Amino acid sequence: MESNITTATSSVTSNKPTGLKLFFRKLVQQRMLVLMSVPFVIWLFLFKYMPLWGWTTAFQKYKPARSFSEQEWVGWDQFNFLFSDERFLRVLRNTLAMSGINLILGFVTAVILALLLNELRSVIFKRVVQTVTYMPHFLSWVVAAGIIQSTLSTDGIINVLLIKLGFIDKGNEILFLGIPKDFWGILGAGTVWKEIGWNTIVYLAAIATIDPSQYEAAEMDGAGRFRRMWHITLPGIRSVIIVLLILNIGNLMQSGFEAQYLLGNGMNIDYSENIDIFVLKYGLEQSNFSLAVAGGMFKSVVSIVLLVIANNVAKRFGGSRVF
Amino acid sequence: MAKKLLYGTMAAALVLSATACGGNNNDEKNTASSSAPASSADASGSAPASEAPKDKVTYSYFLGVANAPDVNTNETTIGRLLEEQTGVNFKIEHVVGDLKAKVGTMIASNDYPDVINPDAAIDMLVDAGAFIDLTDLIEKNPNIKRVYGPFLPQMKAADGKIYYLPITAQVGEYAPDPEINQGAFWIQRRVLKEAGYPKIKTFDEYMNLIEEFVSKHKDEDLTGFISLTHDWRFFAIANVPMHLDGYPNDGNVEIDMNTLEAKTYFTTDSTKRFLQKLNDFNAKGLFDKASFVDNYDQYLAKLSSKKVVGFFDYGWQSGNARNLLRDAARADQSQDDFVYFPMPLTWDGSKDQLQDPPGFVKNRGIGISVSAKDPERIMAFWDNLLNEENQVMKSWGIKGETYDVDANGRFFRTAEMIKMIDEPFNLKFGFRYFNFDWPQYGANSTLADGNAFAPGFQPEVFQLGLTEGDKTILNAYGVKTYSELFAKPDDRPWFPAWGIPKAQGSPEQIWETKHDEVIKKYYPKIVLAKPADFEKVWAEYTAEFGKLDTAGYEKWYTEQIKLAVEAAKVK
Amino acid sequence: MANSASGTAPKKLRRDSSIGDRIFDIANIVFLCLLMVASLYPFLNQLALSLNQAMDSIKGGIYIWPRHFSLENYKYVFKDNQVYQATMISFLRLIVGTVFSVFSTAIVAYTISRPDFVLRKFVTIAFVLTAYINPGIIPDFLNIRDLHLVNSFWVYIWPGLIGVFTLILVRSFIDELPESIMESARIDGAGEFKTLMSIVLPLCLPVLATIALFTAVFQWNSWIDVFLYNSSNEKLSTLQYELQKILQNSSAASSATSAFSNSQAAATMVTPLSIRATMTIVASVPMIMMYPFLQKYFVKGMTVGGVKG
Repeated sequence: MESNITTATSSVTSNKPTGLKLFFRKLVQQRMLVLMSVPFVIWLFLFKYMPLWGWTTAFQKYKPARSFSEQEWVGWDQFNFLFSDERFLRVLRNTLAMSGINLILGFVTAVILALLLNELRSVIFKRVVQTVTYMPHFLSWVVAAGIIQSTLSTDGIINVLLIKLGFIDKGNEILFLGIPKDFWGILGAGTVWKEIGWNTIVYLAAIATIDPSQYEAAEMDGAGRFRRMWHITLPGIRSVIIVLLILNIGNLMQSGFEAQYLLGNGMNIDYSENIDIFVLKYGLEQSNFSLAVAGGMFKSVVSIVLLVIANNVAKRFGGSRVF
Repeated sequence: MAKKLLYGTMAAALVLSATACGGNNNDEKNTASSSAPASSADASGSAPASEAPKDKVTYSYFLGVANAPDVNTNETTIGRLLEEQTGVNFKIEHVVGDLKAKVGTMIASNDYPDVINPDAAIDMLVDAGAFIDLTDLIEKNPNIKRVYGPFLPQMKAADGKIYYLPITAQVGEYAPDPEINQGAFWIQRRVLKEAGYPKIKTFDEYMNLIEEFVSKHKDEDLTGFISLTHDWRFFAIANVPMHLDGYPNDGNVEIDMNTLEAKTYFTTDSTKRFLQKLNDFNAKGLFDKASFVDNYDQYLAKLSSKKVVGFFDYGWQSGNARNLLRDAARADQSQDDFVYFPMPLTWDGSKDQLQDPPGFVKNRGIGISVSAKDPERIMAFWDNLLNEENQVMKSWGIKGETYDVDANGRFFRTAEMIKMIDEPFNLKFGFRYFNFDWPQYGANSTLADGNAFAPGFQPEVFQLGLTEGDKTILNAYGVKTYSELFAKPDDRPWFPAWGIPKAQGSPEQIWETKHDEVIKKYYPKIVLAKPADFEKVWAEYTAEFGKLDTAGYEKWYTEQIKLAVEAAKVK
Repeated sequence: MANSASGTAPKKLRRDSSIGDRIFDIANIVFLCLLMVASLYPFLNQLALSLNQAMDSIKGGIYIWPRHFSLENYKYVFKDNQVYQATMISFLRLIVGTVFSVFSTAIVAYTISRPDFVLRKFVTIAFVLTAYINPGIIPDFLNIRDLHLVNSFWVYIWPGLIGVFTLILVRSFIDELPESIMESARIDGAGEFKTLMSIVLPLCLPVLATIALFTAVFQWNSWIDVFLYNSSNEKLSTLQYELQKILQNSSAASSATSAFSNSQAAATMVTPLSIRATMTIVASVPMIMMYPFLQKYFVKGMTVGGVKG
């Protein structure tokens, strides 16, 4: 353990060769900050980077029983299997579309809810709304999907309403989950419903740090509600929004798979199947760990590219950024 | 500082866990002052090994199905009796999350429980060399030899060794299940009653009967026919043409009894005709189009709503809904109309094969891992478990407590016993734990004295559960049990063909995954298409299906079937 | 005191609000009430299902009121003593995990918020990248095993010690603090650690409360780590893991065929549908009750922020 620490630190320091002397002088100067961060960097390497040798398995026909030297190396075969499949582009499109929709909807609705909550005069009512909207986050997707399915079923509330309002005739109920193109929208709406309160928490925390005297001053100046929102509240949480947006753009490849898996069916598969489900079907379910890792690697690479792009765009606009 | 915190919380953790497990010792009371297991008449097996009593040991047992809470077998009545005989206890751990991930980590760390019953992950473990070869040990254990002897050639892996004991070895006469747990075309009893209990043999007659009934009861808002299609349960619709062709559930193939050729049926006239019938029903508003989007819960709710006239499904999948209707009928005779009645149907009224033949599921079983220290003793435990007395105990229980024997030597259960044996009792007594997951007689086995191995298959037990309504309709069709309605299953040594192991990532496995995608996508389109578009959509589907290497799949299957038949001849 | 002052000051001013303002307020309240109905419905539905006889629930049609009241589902879930022990472990990992995580996250976030820190960029990037890389289940498992964390309580704490999202979130809050405050602290001769503890952390209470909540919920809901690393040690089992087990058992129990006992007796008492509903209630109530307690820190932070101005 002891030797581990020293090697890790030395590799850290050797990372920046320019102006070495200056660098070391600063390092000594900032020894408190170094002491505060380096143990956690070691933790990071131990827990997050060490197992990355596992990525080599993407180039193998990995069998868990074999030792590293006994594995059969297959080069890019696993990746070829992924990319050569005609469905790959489709599942990639679905992944990006669904997570894109979820990202935008999730952001917009959460910020709006935070603003609306901030406008409430009654603290008690505000807390009640906060708590109640936060609750659906604790539904597992199985439960949430079950409720979405029954809401959208032929005898569910939506079809019943449509019949009552005369939009459709009895017997012509709409199979919402059977319409491929509606799937993204259903998933997006379902995710908002489930996560809106949860997503709002962080913006409420950000709003809480805004100096109330700013509101008072604005009010004195006769600024109306929307101007206050626009000129004080939103700027006050801007950096949080941007930082979270960047991190989440990096996450676009992760559209989750539970919801898609549970709400997906043969009729909407062209729009519901994403990379995770695809990799699950041909990877883990066939005991092909290598394919699963290859899929994961592909997602990581795309994610990091997206992250860097988003970060640079933010940098160009002079706003906050992640690094 | 952080260290201090760490030790502090660690100490707290220890205290908490210590106090928490203090309150755990209250299951000693229900240990019935047990009489020894009933020794039924001349068992063909040997007596329990009566060597010098050995030290008590506990072996770990990993089970790839989460069918019960984790347990030490000696906490159950059956397990305790077995421990008294052998000194062996098993600590069973059930899988909870993803089976393959768990098994993968076991393999990668080369650290196994003593005994593994890995369900669907068995090929991974065999492939990894996790199991020891049992061939020699089987020879040394007379009961194992007796039960599995006839199947040994089929149990051999590709390298000629035997790595696990399957759990479905038929012993003695074939005892049919009087209930229908297999596939059947179900119909509400009132339909048959109203039509004067007609003898229905073909699918078309059945569908016509439904159509007539619905049109006569227009105001009742009835659904003629629904299908279960949710997720992996899609086979409940996809398998129907296979059954209508007169084949049992071999999965994706129909196997010709003479030539042993395996043929898929997904683009045959049979499937087309079936889907066209559903299409026709859909156009007439008789088919529930939500069948293709409903989940399993919604499906069961519809079945128990009394609004669905007919459906095809396997008994074990629709059991909950049907039990509910039956319980209602038990309480109120008039509800008997809504209970479902199973029918064996084919296209032309010829012999059905909906009942499973005595099968030998080759790709499931229990094996001893390379980490086990004393394989001999584990095998001896299994050998002891397989003697007829213990098989009676694990299946019927203890004489005078969970079953009785009449003057003719027939086993039966009294109404009180039946009432007593509920789910908590099953766990406590151990019926649940010794149900399926051990080397044992197959479910349809018959004991040496002629009693059915499984209580549920004993006609005396079955009769006791019948209601007046049940008796009426069984009488009307001139049978004593539901299974009598169905043809006797022919002998198929390969059955079930879906149980023939396929290598990981093999073309066969890939074919199955892809075929699954294609049919799940197109069957709804075909059924819900306007009747005028039927041919067009069907052509689209067959074109898409044609992209799969079905000939290769069938060829592989034919080879496997022939091997299985050869292996069965060796005995 | 400061609390009420900041709450009432804007209120007084808003009293003479315009008609437009009133309409907005009413529309806002109506909208939020509708949202609450949509959010509350699933819970009432699950509560009703959990209090309804399992076999009866199969028929469907349970909305917000049980049809055949029964406590059997709860009895089934709580019949096993294991559940109580597992609940203790769940709370323990929640408390230890949250304390460790929040503290560690705050320390690292502080260091990478110092603009002149020489390792700032390196540390930031090293952390951020881990959010997007996933070595795979088996390499992760072998790593944890080699770190001797299998069969240990600490496997719940160490691997998830610092989350990237929470880290960056806290950093961006610290970034927003006026530099003048920290400058003055340093001039006073306070070390970095002391600056963090006495100045930065109190000012960051809202975000710390937020990440505490996130971490607590994460700790509470986790069960895959129990499954992968501690499944053979029942003393380290957690509530969510036990609930998963019970759920899976209930599905086996309900599909148990009549093959081995009489069908009458096999008529099961629980179904996955009703057990899942019971689980939802049992597992989420503690988390829902926790939230109102944390909400007050959002307001408290505001007053501290007010003082600083």
